[in-house]
Amino acid sequence: MKKFDEQSTLSLYEKGLITENQFEEVKAYRNLNIFSVNAELKLFLYLSVLLFTSGIGILIYENIDTIGHIAILSLLLIVIAICFYYCFTNSKGFQKTETTFEHPVLEYLVLLANILTCIFIGYLQFQYKPFGEHYGLATLVPTIVSFFCAYYFDNKSVLTIAVTGLAAYIGLSVTPQDLLNGNDFYASDSLSYSAVMLGVLLIVWTIYSNRISLKTHFSLIFLTFALHIISIAAISNLLHHYILIWLIFAGVLIGSTFYFYKVSYEFKAMSIYVFMIVYGYVGINILIFRIFENVDFSNIWELFIFLLPAYFIGSIIMFIKLIKNFHKEIAE
Amino acid sequence: MIVYDKQILKNDALVDEADTLYKGGFISKEQRKFIKKELPVFKSQDNILVRIGFFLLGNLLYSSICGAISILGLSSEDIFLEICCYLFAAVGFAGSELLAKQNFHNHGLDDSFILGALLNVGFAIGITTEGYEIVIAFFVAVVAIFMFLRYLHLLSMLVFCLAVTAFLFFGMFEFGDLGKAILPFTAMILAAIFYFVTKKLINNLDESYYYNGLLLANSFCLVLFYLSCNYLVVRELSAELLGTEVKPGTDIPFAFFFYGFTFIVPIVYLVQALKTKDRIMLWISFLAIGFSIYTIRFYYAVLPIEVALTLGGLILFAIAYFSIKKLKGKESGLTFKPDRINHSDAILNAEALVVASTFGMKPEIKPQASPMEFGGGGFSGGGSDGSF
Repeated sequence: MKKFDEQSTLSLYEKGLITENQFEEVKAYRNLNIFSVNAELKLFLYLSVLLFTSGIGILIYENIDTIGHIAILSLLLIVIAICFYYCFTNSKGFQKTETTFEHPVLEYLVLLANILTCIFIGYLQFQYKPFGEHYGLATLVPTIVSFFCAYYFDNKSVLTIAVTGLAAYIGLSVTPQDLLNGNDFYASDSLSYSAVMLGVLLIVWTIYSNRISLKTHFSLIFLTFALHIISIAAISNLLHHYILIWLIFAGVLIGSTFYFYKVSYEFKAMSIYVFMIVYGYVGINILIFRIFENVDFSNIWELFIFLLPAYFIGSIIMFIKLIKNFHKEIAE
Repeated sequence: MIVYDKQILKNDALVDEADTLYKGGFISKEQRKFIKKELPVFKSQDNILVRIGFFLLGNLLYSSICGAISILGLSSEDIFLEICCYLFAAVGFAGSELLAKQNFHNHGLDDSFILGALLNVGFAIGITTEGYEIVIAFFVAVVAIFMFLRYLHLLSMLVFCLAVTAFLFFGMFEFGDLGKAILPFTAMILAAIFYFVTKKLINNLDESYYYNGLLLANSFCLVLFYLSCNYLVVRELSAELLGTEVKPGTDIPFAFFFYGFTFIVPIVYLVQALKTKDRIMLWISFLAIGFSIYTIRFYYAVLPIEVALTLGGLILFAIAYFSIKKLKGKESGLTFKPDRINHSDAILNAEALVVASTFGMKPEIKPQASPMEFGGGGFSGGGSDGSF
């Protein structure tokens, strides 16, 4: 590949599209022969955290009713204490802007300490019930710890744990696989309303954080969660049999689509834009279906099959236009 | 053979290069914008989400066209059922050609028509030959390589590799039990031969058009080579194909060779990758090492899973920690510094997503009547996800 890359750079230079200085600089850089294993090693660190915490989780799970649990608990506590000690002594303290650690390992130590804390509190609650019957509290405490860690140490992975914790507190599971499965939580009305409320809460928090410029790089995570939670809750309720309820959620979906359309331009976020379009498109199709659901088409269904290709071509042209527009806007 | 305008292909490479230079901080944003304006390129989608979206839409369009054809056909003879897949494949070819003429390349729409044509060719041959696998594999391979050569479509190259492998397998089955018995060795030898052939082809390339496809085939050979004589694969396949059962105390023939192969090849890959600075080989070696460990655990439960995971985590952490420590100060060659030109941090961006799916908290399960049952409930572990 190197050969062709160098050729490309050369022909960019020959066409006068880059200056001689730039060309020389690139050439010198290529001659350093850099082979960076940055991403690979970070991935290893990350995998090691996943493996370790999964191992510990199963270990506790298997031994939960045996005598070893005091030993496990104290061991866990010691590990957590060591991790947090290292993190605190090496961190630059709380900052409103994006920060990174001197040493990349620490970022993963924060994640490790955080997950272990969650396991610890869960274990404690199960075994000794410090929160009594307030099971919500047992979710809320790890959530608060996670939010604190996420903001203090500036860690996006921990932030996602915190958001799922917050959702779990109000009774929702928003882990990606559950969202994809369109889980049955949205089957009950009150949960759908809380889902929408949670989404709105996340949006409001994002707007507020941006106003006081607090960790603005977290916005995208909050907005992504908000988009998916609101849209999936709304779409699953579009099939509701009460006309009033599905009309309400149609309104919610239209509103959220409009909002996220604006937001994706503002943040130049392709992922939000794409999913906004997808949810909007699915929503519109369901709406069309619902409107015509009571009309009897049995005589002309063949016509529909012939119209379908045209419909899809129309949609494709529309999508191409939308994406093109977006590219044009964010290029500026 | 290539349907696209050569000039646009060249422009495409240049714009890609400009993008990498911009990301590496060598040229300014205005310069990149100017280059993009100056050189017309294909209609393609770099964002994988958008591409998948268009791929799905393309599939809807494709199947709706096929549906419309079926409506016309169903009212006629039974013969329609036999030729319908040829018709659908023709739709795919026509669609790919049309899209290519409109300069769609790696856009998602073209993917759906090209892959759809391949799939329908497979079905069509399958229906005509009543499911004779080797013929299906042969025709799919031929069409796939045509698609790759004409539309420079990478996924077709992958289909081609898979089809050729399938052709080889079914070809060996024709020889009966002997063919099945020597299958691992044939696959291994052919993978090795093709590895060096593709390597040579890559080195002799003058133009970069076919580079990516050949690289893919080259990497595929590496994977096939490792898998062909991996102990797990060989043992399970021989049980499947030859019906041999391994009794306790005995082992498959040449077990010693296969064990050695399972361990030595990943190490060779790793060393070779670091020596030649070959990132793809490096990744294949990581995966191969992981699969080798899995192979062992599959037959010998050396440690209980939780201890294995915990220890594995610790060992991996130690490896990463010391490698980082060692490489941190280096400025050239093998280094920990992020490369300005070749970013491979796309995976790291997905990190938060993986964390959310593995460790995301789930709502409490209301305590049941019996506390023992609760001990097995979702509160403390929920299996392997560890958090709640």
